[in-house]
Amino acid sequence: MTGLEPLAAVLFFSSLAALAAALGAAPLVLGVPPARRVIGWANALAGGLMIGVAYTLLQEGLDGALIAGGFGTLVGVVFVRGTHTATGTGELDLERPEGAGPDYSYKALLVDSLHAADEGVAIGVAMAVSLPLGIAMAATLAVHNVPEAMVLNSVLTSRGMKPFQSSFLSVVVNVNQVLLAVVTFTLIGLWPWLLPWVAGFAVGALIYRTLVELLPESYRQAGQTSIAVVTLLAMGVVVLLAGVAT
Amino acid sequence: MSDTSPVFVYALLTALATGLGAIPFFFVRTISERFVAYSEAVAAGLMLGASFGLVAEGTAYGSGETLLGGLLGVGFILVTQRILRDQDGQELVFEAARGDGAKRMLLMVVVMTVHSFAEGVAVGVSFGGGVTLGAVITIAIAIHNIPEGVAISAVLRPEGVPASRCALWSIFSSLPQPLMAVPAFLFVETFRVALPYGLGFAAGAMVFMVLVELLPEAYKHGERAQVATLATVSAVGMVLFQQWL
Repeated sequence: MTGLEPLAAVLFFSSLAALAAALGAAPLVLGVPPARRVIGWANALAGGLMIGVAYTLLQEGLDGALIAGGFGTLVGVVFVRGTHTATGTGELDLERPEGAGPDYSYKALLVDSLHAADEGVAIGVAMAVSLPLGIAMAATLAVHNVPEAMVLNSVLTSRGMKPFQSSFLSVVVNVNQVLLAVVTFTLIGLWPWLLPWVAGFAVGALIYRTLVELLPESYRQAGQTSIAVVTLLAMGVVVLLAGVAT
Repeated sequence: MSDTSPVFVYALLTALATGLGAIPFFFVRTISERFVAYSEAVAAGLMLGASFGLVAEGTAYGSGETLLGGLLGVGFILVTQRILRDQDGQELVFEAARGDGAKRMLLMVVVMTVHSFAEGVAVGVSFGGGVTLGAVITIAIAIHNIPEGVAISAVLRPEGVPASRCALWSIFSSLPQPLMAVPAFLFVETFRVALPYGLGFAAGAMVFMVLVELLPEAYKHGERAQVATLATVSAVGMVLFQQWL
């Protein structure tokens, strides 16, 4: 085993997860723009997967270091709230692009690229815990990236962008994910005590982001009951996948 | 011969501890729109965190069984919702509230009571292997129950239920815990088979309750960022608290 191999695995699997976003353009390429309800379910699916990921990190990533995990969580929440306030994307409404300011598309892209950052950290942490857990995490996020890209594609094309360009951009916003997966994995390799802090950070950022962005929007796009069912099923799939991987 | 009476007494104390969760709500004098939102957000977070613990324990006995139990839990809430809705034109009344508020409160009490059945079985099974339910473990479970009382009170108090009644409903919801712990303690092998289904059922019902009732209600009355912050911190706080115990 050379030292490069695990890092190559992180690079490979996080890149696959990022590339999966290209599939989000499928409805547009096929010429069937997704209905409002379907976008709601896509958001709920993405959100349920996030909460499932947070569950897995809490079970596998803390290793008894509860205070570090707690502080990490607070930092994660503050990080996402702070970036929302700093970029003016806190109250961004991805559902009503009509009548929004000219910078709307940029903000939508910014939101998704910030989102990819915590996901990258989550892959890096999971890979540091074990390779199977890392692969399970990358697979979960690959699935998560599809509905996320689907929503972004419909936002961008509604602003006049061509499907080809929007699908390219929806992959590019995930470059962060690959970069942060590699950086996180390397840093934890160097300083293993970082693990619970970083796991806590990812948990706080992922749950907060799901609750502030994905769920409130999805409730308005589809009814409460169907959103609750989709979210819960997505969480269940992650729990099952993590159970197999550990 | 195993002596079950101390098991029962210890377990009863753990149920009473749930009532302590109502204490912060004695200090709430006026019920504002924001209080409703943030109270529901805290309840949602606590229940999400608690269900993480149930899932972790359930999957240790069997992942598939836990998930199947979870689906049954969702089905249970859907059926209960339907029953509460079909009142032949009569409006549902619970405590001082009517309509939607009454439905939410009743669902909350039902969900938390059902969850106590599963927890009672879990307690009985884990101490059935010859270990007696000692004082230290009782204190741990009792402390574990307090945030659950907070969650129940946080849903009931905004509807105008007095804090003392919140405490009573909290204790009520925990009564199945001692009742189930004793038989599970005596017939460990039988109950162990059912345990992952029960834990999954409780977790599924709780998470579904959070997603279908508590969060939408919280978003309706409060600011998104505050709701999300409170729920996230409560959820992770609950997980860390339970891991610490």
